[in-house]
Amino acid sequence: MFQPASLKGISPCPIDERIRKRFLILYILIILLSFIPCSLFEYFYIIYFWEEGSYWLFFLLLPINILILAYILQLSAILFSFLFLTILRLLHEPKEGKFNRNIKDKDYLYWNLRNLVKKWPLFITASIPFPWLKNRFTLRFFGTKIGKKCICDNSWISSEFVSIGRNVIIGMGTTILSFGIEQDNFILQKIIIEDNVLIGAKCSVMYGSTIKEGVKLSAHSFTNPYQVLEKDSIYIGHPAKLKS
Amino acid sequence: MDNENESFKIDFLSTSGVYKTPFTLIIFVQLFIGGIILIIINLWFINSLYFLLTGNEFYAFGIVGEWYFWLLLPLSIYGNIFLFAFSIMISSAGIFKLLNKLHPPREGVFEKGSKDWKYMHRRFWIAYFPIWLARALPLPWADIFVYRLFGVHIGKNVVAYEGYIDPEFVEIGDFTMTSINICIFSHLIYHDKLIIKKVKIGNECIVGPQTIITPGTIMQDRSVLGANSYTNIGQELKSDLIHVGIPVSISFPIQTLEESIEKADAIKKSDHDLNKGGVN
Repeated sequence: MFQPASLKGISPCPIDERIRKRFLILYILIILLSFIPCSLFEYFYIIYFWEEGSYWLFFLLLPINILILAYILQLSAILFSFLFLTILRLLHEPKEGKFNRNIKDKDYLYWNLRNLVKKWPLFITASIPFPWLKNRFTLRFFGTKIGKKCICDNSWISSEFVSIGRNVIIGMGTTILSFGIEQDNFILQKIIIEDNVLIGAKCSVMYGSTIKEGVKLSAHSFTNPYQVLEKDSIYIGHPAKLKS
Repeated sequence: MDNENESFKIDFLSTSGVYKTPFTLIIFVQLFIGGIILIIINLWFINSLYFLLTGNEFYAFGIVGEWYFWLLLPLSIYGNIFLFAFSIMISSAGIFKLLNKLHPPREGVFEKGSKDWKYMHRRFWIAYFPIWLARALPLPWADIFVYRLFGVHIGKNVVAYEGYIDPEFVEIGDFTMTSINICIFSHLIYHDKLIIKKVKIGNECIVGPQTIITPGTIMQDRSVLGANSYTNIGQELKSDLIHVGIPVSISFPIQTLEESIEKADAIKKSDHDLNKGGVN
């Protein structure tokens, strides 16, 4: 809500440096492609409104123009990254499990590539100053299920293997990580958050944990990997324990 | 616990959150106010500059190839950004005050969907865009300026750049420092209720990193809140002490450097003696 620019809630998508170096061209290509619809829109805007006798209309519509420009940039970034994402998914299907943290491991390589493709639209979504079509809109395109009437725009939510139910409140600065690193292993495990859950500020929900319906997770606590929080109860602590 | 005599107790600490209501469309109004002020002042400025230098009042739309135009261009871009941001900040502070006249904000516990709940959302959506702009600007004092406009009392020489701060019911004294990734909440969601209570931070306080200050917290002068801790609702942090805990339960005095060095030396000595004893 009122966060500084350094805490604007961009989804976590870290990329291995070796892979980032090799596929930098792909990243730049997505950025360039996403600017093409913007420049097209701007061209037509100037052509239609920059005419003698109607300059006032050009200036009057300028704020709207900027707003539409921001959303065109966001939507085109989502579109192009979604195209590349589907290609990557066809090449190698994303799946959960324990993998080797090594470029030769195909799952690890493709997870990094998916992050590389998703980074730009996620950055754009987090940077847009308007409160509509925020993080949850973009995350839905990338396979994260997020229900209606959620508050989840001030938190860092992973873009894969997360499903969030209806009427969920996720607090400020909470991280929801569906991936983790254990020494030489790389783990991808689904997080399920059911309906009517309330997660406090600055929590962290680790990979593989399931939060059942009506759970209240107190602020500043974290869940262990693979932890299951039982229905309609309050959890507090490091790691989260049932409050009696 | 410190808040035993408090009338309202909570069994878990949640978060502050604001639902998206149709009132978010107020951002269109703010955008238009900013844009129109920007355009009018620009047109007037360019026209008068043209008149000054050429003696001709007519302003032809199109890029003028004169040297002074290009010389003043960087200044113009900077000036336009600040003009846009500050006109939006000041105008939306006016809208904020008008809304407060309609329904004065008050402290208490409110149901979801009640009138106070609705007006709280309206106030927050008015404050959203100007605060975003202030925090995106490169000026370090812009966000303190905008918080002061919205009625948050912030003293002089305050560090408050790197955290969430609610735009109402917050009071921060002189020479206070707040660290990175802090949350100062003056309102809290609790089940289906909304708690609004005033936060008071005194003079020369220090708020450590990753902390949450909940509604009703009173930090007295020169108190310190340690890293990674949060306060209970309505908790009072005594002055000249360091407070730590989740929620705050331990407090110990602030030491001078000499005192801490002395204590460290004493501990080192005793450890040394113990080791000797163990060997012998």
